[in-house]
Amino acid sequence: MGSTLIEARNVIKKYGAVTALDDFTVDIPEGKIGILGPNGAGKSTFVKIALGLIRTTSGSITVLGEDLDRNTVDIRRKIGYMPEHDCIPNNMTGVEFLIEMGLVSGMSLQSATQRTHEILGHLQMGEEKYRKIEEYSGGMRQKIKLAQGLIHGPEVIFLDEPTSGLDPKARQEMLETINGLTEVSGTNVLLSTHILQDVETVCDHVIIVNNGKLQMQENVKKLMQRQTDVIQVRIGGSTEDFVKHLKKSGITATSGSRGLHVPYVNDKTFEQIVDSAVKSNCQLYEMERATITMDNVYLEVVD
Amino acid sequence: MKEKAQVSERFREFKAELTSRPSIVLGMGLRGFLRMLSLKNQWTIALVALIWLWTLGFYVLLSTGDYPCENLFGGDSSENFKRCQPLVYYNDLGLGGVRLFLVTLAAISSSGLIANDMTDKSLHLYLSRPISRLDYLIARFIPVFLLLMCVTALPNLIVYLNQWGDAGLEFEWIKNHKWLLLDILILGSFYSASYSIIGLTFSTAINRESWAAGAFFLFVYGSAIIIEIFYLMIGDDRVLLLSIIHLLDIIGFYIFDTQPFFTAFGIETIDIADIEVFGVFILIIGSCGLFVNWMISQMEANK
Repeated sequence: MGSTLIEARNVIKKYGAVTALDDFTVDIPEGKIGILGPNGAGKSTFVKIALGLIRTTSGSITVLGEDLDRNTVDIRRKIGYMPEHDCIPNNMTGVEFLIEMGLVSGMSLQSATQRTHEILGHLQMGEEKYRKIEEYSGGMRQKIKLAQGLIHGPEVIFLDEPTSGLDPKARQEMLETINGLTEVSGTNVLLSTHILQDVETVCDHVIIVNNGKLQMQENVKKLMQRQTDVIQVRIGGSTEDFVKHLKKSGITATSGSRGLHVPYVNDKTFEQIVDSAVKSNCQLYEMERATITMDNVYLEVVD
Repeated sequence: MKEKAQVSERFREFKAELTSRPSIVLGMGLRGFLRMLSLKNQWTIALVALIWLWTLGFYVLLSTGDYPCENLFGGDSSENFKRCQPLVYYNDLGLGGVRLFLVTLAAISSSGLIANDMTDKSLHLYLSRPISRLDYLIARFIPVFLLLMCVTALPNLIVYLNQWGDAGLEFEWIKNHKWLLLDILILGSFYSASYSIIGLTFSTAINRESWAAGAFFLFVYGSAIIIEIFYLMIGDDRVLLLSIIHLLDIIGFYIFDTQPFFTAFGIETIDIADIEVFGVFILIIGSCGLFVNWMISQMEANK
């Protein structure tokens, strides 16, 4: 793990009576990080605070080592932002729009023009880059929105629901584009989404937020590994007795969203589960080595 | 293949040299100004041309001695004329002024500046760049201010230079009329800045370009007509402060150190305390600035 990208300490953000972030503390490492959470969890609020667009009610936040209380505007030289909603002027061509965004970021005309064509090249946009944006498909608009966030070569790009409103094919393409462009440009990613597959595809770290609080922070690969090596058990009768007998066999079971989770060691684990069920007079309804995706983790944490 | 790899390397190693915030703001402003003068904005170009032709026509008329300065300032000395001409320039068409065209131009040119950014939500993208809310507002103020300067200070400067030419291009003449030169510049800047700020306020409040233009025009001209009727009924000069047109004219007279008058029902002199005039002006312009700032801060916080 490299150095810290964002460091938030006891951040509280209130909109009137509504608390969007509630004593939120997190250290976000460099790399590709996903912020996962249901709608209204506080993801977008956190992104906007990290971008210096809105201020915290209390608490402190540093981005790329710079305190946002002191440096809300200049920090944006190092940050790219792709908002969730459609926010591209229709009356410009793709090239004109990206050059304008480059210039507004502080680039020279020559540098902005060159970078625009390089990015559009990576996006495999041909003649359509000279067409008005109003003629673009949803997928192309999203790509242009991503490109504007990378135009000035930021150290990190904040992506707010980048696949929102796309059909499955366009979504897959968009995720590949995000992976490809950020990989080739060496940009850190902070991906805010409620779509789990986006995080699985793009990120190497995940942060789960709910009700304005940090619920979990984990390495995606380790998380998937851990979750895959689990046997999901559903029993009838005394769960306590069953768990006790398992413990005697040296196995610690934890409760999951659908019954108990027993760590899988080898196929002998299944026999130990059956033995424990017999000894504790429990009916064994279900015993399955789980192929759990992020969905299960997410639902467990959020529920 | 090798060429592609080289492009990727350059893309990866890209480090943008970003300019300072004032340069970004000035650049945005100047690009906006040039866009206003592009042939796509036919109405803007037509109005600028009309104002120049109108000015030229009346300047020709001046040379025949038919200009109404003598009625306004008394006497027929050329010195009175020099003070009268720049003031009357901002007055009614009947006096050779360009007020109607000027207000129309301000309405048309300012109405889309913020409204369009709010409608297509590109405002979010601008505000995610290394510029503050105030920087953005200044960048949107510059184009309309410069455009209005082209039809306020510039024609009067040309008339001034013409008068200097008539005086034999003597440097002594410039020295003797240096305050007139300064007053012309201040007056032009004052009208341009005031109409720009009011125009941007309407552009923010009504985020549809054509409606914002219509509302601006009706507010400025409509209120003037209503206030004049009230003035006729009440007879108190202070009523005139509630009309933008009259308020700006009164301050214009102060700039030229001349007794304010207005011409709706013959020439009537106005007698109002300075503090009341400048108090109302600061209140109006300050309210406009605070309102625009508040509206944009709401856009920042919301999606």
